[in-house]
Amino acid sequence: METLQFALRKLLYSIPLLFGVTFISFFLMVYHGPDLTYSILGKNPTPEQITELHAQLGYDQPFLKRYFLFLKEIITFDFGSSISSGEDVSSILKKSVPISFMVALPAFILSNALGIILALYAANHRGKRNDKIIMVLAAGGMSVSFLMVVIAFQIIFCTSYGLNWFPVQGWVSPPPDYPDASAIEIFYYYWYYYWSYVAVPTLASVFVALGYNTRFFRAVIVEELNKDYVRTARAYGVSNRKIMIKHVLKNAMIPISTRIIITIPFVIIAGNLVVEKFFGIPGVGLVTYDAITNGDLPIVKAVVTWTAALYVIALIITDVVYKTIDPRTSYNQ
Amino acid sequence: MFFRTISLVACLASVALLTCCKRPFSDRTQNLSVFRFSENGAPVTMDPVQSATQYANLMTTSIYDQLYEYKYLARPYQLKPRLAVALPKVSEDGLTYTIQIKKAILYADDECFPGGQGREVVAGDFVYSMQRLFDPNARSQGEWLWQGKIKGLDEWKKAGADYSKPIEGLQALDDHTIQIILNKPFPQLTYTFAMGFSSVTPREAVKYYGKEFGLNPVGSGPYKLKSFSTKKAVLVRNENYREEIFDLEEEGYDPETQSWAGLERLHGKKLPIMDTTEVYFMKESMTRWNSLNKGTEIHFGGIPTELTHMVAEELNPLVLKPDYAKKFTAMNLPELGIVYLYLNMSDPKIGHHSDPEQNRRNLLLRKAISAAYDWPQRNRRYYNGIATLFPGTIPPGLDGYDNAFTADMTEPDFEKAKAYLKEGGWNADNLPVLDFNGVASVQNTQMFEQFRGWMEKIGYPREKIPYVPFATFGDFNKKVKQRDCTLIGMAWGLDYPDAENVLQLFYGPNSSPGSNSSNFNNPKYNKLFEESIVMQPGSERTEIYRKLNQIIIDDVPAVCGLSRNSPFIWHKNVVFLPSRNPHGSLFKYALVFDDSDDQ
Repeated sequence: METLQFALRKLLYSIPLLFGVTFISFFLMVYHGPDLTYSILGKNPTPEQITELHAQLGYDQPFLKRYFLFLKEIITFDFGSSISSGEDVSSILKKSVPISFMVALPAFILSNALGIILALYAANHRGKRNDKIIMVLAAGGMSVSFLMVVIAFQIIFCTSYGLNWFPVQGWVSPPPDYPDASAIEIFYYYWYYYWSYVAVPTLASVFVALGYNTRFFRAVIVEELNKDYVRTARAYGVSNRKIMIKHVLKNAMIPISTRIIITIPFVIIAGNLVVEKFFGIPGVGLVTYDAITNGDLPIVKAVVTWTAALYVIALIITDVVYKTIDPRTSYNQ
Repeated sequence: MFFRTISLVACLASVALLTCCKRPFSDRTQNLSVFRFSENGAPVTMDPVQSATQYANLMTTSIYDQLYEYKYLARPYQLKPRLAVALPKVSEDGLTYTIQIKKAILYADDECFPGGQGREVVAGDFVYSMQRLFDPNARSQGEWLWQGKIKGLDEWKKAGADYSKPIEGLQALDDHTIQIILNKPFPQLTYTFAMGFSSVTPREAVKYYGKEFGLNPVGSGPYKLKSFSTKKAVLVRNENYREEIFDLEEEGYDPETQSWAGLERLHGKKLPIMDTTEVYFMKESMTRWNSLNKGTEIHFGGIPTELTHMVAEELNPLVLKPDYAKKFTAMNLPELGIVYLYLNMSDPKIGHHSDPEQNRRNLLLRKAISAAYDWPQRNRRYYNGIATLFPGTIPPGLDGYDNAFTADMTEPDFEKAKAYLKEGGWNADNLPVLDFNGVASVQNTQMFEQFRGWMEKIGYPREKIPYVPFATFGDFNKKVKQRDCTLIGMAWGLDYPDAENVLQLFYGPNSSPGSNSSNFNNPKYNKLFEESIVMQPGSERTEIYRKLNQIIIDDVPAVCGLSRNSPFIWHKNVVFLPSRNPHGSLFKYALVFDDSDDQ
């Protein structure tokens, strides 16, 4: 009950944040975003066509009127249709967001799980050779441009110049129409092609993200290791493994969980433009990028609103998780 | 211990993964009748009235029928009937066109039709499709082609675009007869009916799908759309497509120049040859190359400019290195188009000026820029040295091109350029600031630096030629249409193989926001152009075209010109002769075979 009240309270306090984010993004798009008129009208528009389209796109309406219409869209979660393609924005996001999520999820889980494992190991062996190797590799992963990693991994794993194990580009298509195909065969089809297409993007994303995560998590864990209770526990003869996992990791989970939870909205909705572009994945990253560069305001509004809303929810979940990890935490603090 | 556990788990997972590596449905008969094509961009919509880009045009001409199309193999390009029975009957005064369309042509089955079954295409559908081009709600990009041309159509739009109101110059006399009455002769009219814009559309689909019609095309063409995303479109055979058999001779086959392509295999085959065509939209050239080179993904694509010397022994003619020649067939694909640099003639710093003396000086400044423009170097650096260079605006092969022109005429002459500047009284102090505009990209920045280098050679201070990049093409186009740009790098792909299509780029009344982005307005040019556009092809018209071209060369509203030529390759087991504009989709002719087909 207390948790629910806390969550509702936080939600209410977040409404100004949502307004602020949507206002700023709307302002930027209206006054600094591209004018879609000249993209839509093509080679040879007449002045009359330009005027007609300006009116249709609402460009001639006052800013506040357009903003209030936008607020109405937020409240009803109805962002209309894409100006470029005419497709319903909800339909576009329903198709592309799950794809981006499915691409990002394995990398998210692996980079965080492996990051924690490596950070624990490195912190436990801090100052020694293995710690230094891990930190150098982490720094290396952070230093290399993600674009270069994507291109290199694509060449190494996907092309005939390298191992040629995985497809270069694409996404899972519906299975062929075999009337006698069993549910297991269809499940296997999706499982097989999902991992075919996701393997290399995951490897590339993990390669880069793992470095950042490992270094951050290690720093947090080392800080815990320097605390008095750890020295006391060792003095009492508690095993190192128990100290690391039951005590240190648990105490370090607050900053670790903050970092992990705050990245969740970007896993769900932001997509990864570089990965989607190079691996031919029809995700929301590319949709959003195209919408911004083309001035397709309905899509941009929807993505900004959903990202802001998910971020607020993530912040609330972070606070709830704090309480779970450390029951001493009070919602009133 | 901890690490041992992790290692064991990882090994088990890998083994599990490896043992499950069998391809799904590998024990079933596979449908191999798939042609995988790639493009370097994606369409946003497949609504014919918005098919201005080559990507959208590719899709609409695969799914919809037009009245006419170009013969697959004939060069120069020749029209042939597609939905029409024959070329139009034209009245003596050139104003009335009567076109019969084929009977029993069916649309693909779709839920927009009663019972889901595609109905017959009728002449009224063509009338409706042309009306949509003038409907403000349809946001047509193709209206300009027929503006002022068809009697009553512009008035119909002004009167509110009511589809129930008849149009005097656009009628369906019966279910299979179309009549078009023009305001004045328009010899290029038949060409326009081969463009994606003029695709024949059923009104049921437009009504049923509403705003999403662009993503749910319903046509009578060889393919129908199975699925679409910004990365891939899947086209499947339209089961209602008419019986159409490929005939080599009828398509204009020339064994002397085309025997290398293996096109004889296509003779006698029913169209479309392949059941499925998958179109991959890949902007990243390296991804496209890697996918093509893999051997099991796309069948057709271009060689990235940065890799041409790794793949090709020679570029002109295109000869692949042995390792690649074993896997691929290749050709250089010439573009029917032109790359040029517009000079904004409405900017008094460089263009038209009310003061005759300043006008003279501005002309000399433009001539200096033109003389210093090193087209051969541009060609070597950015187009592999295989682009076609020519002076003026009419590409080779078109009526009006002067065969006395040679590529040498595009060589730079920096001394001559300096002489022009001196004659015009220009020096480093009084030369105007000329902003160079373009969409922000690495290549455009490099092209700008190259251009500025040429200008520096003739004494133009580098700080007087700033680069003004734009984040998107829309932003850039807006500024061009508002006449805010001075130097504008542009390209134009011809809509049809007639020089009128490039000459109209300099016709005064077409000034911005129209296609005349140089805002050139020369009364003599305008008068000659107006004379020529109502003339049928012939020596008289050719002579006028040449005069118009010479005015462009003399007055320099643009620095011309280059036609791109791009190397393309496809797998050895594919029979496909690529072509771009003015051809639309050629998917129906593509064949992917395996060696057992020869037995």
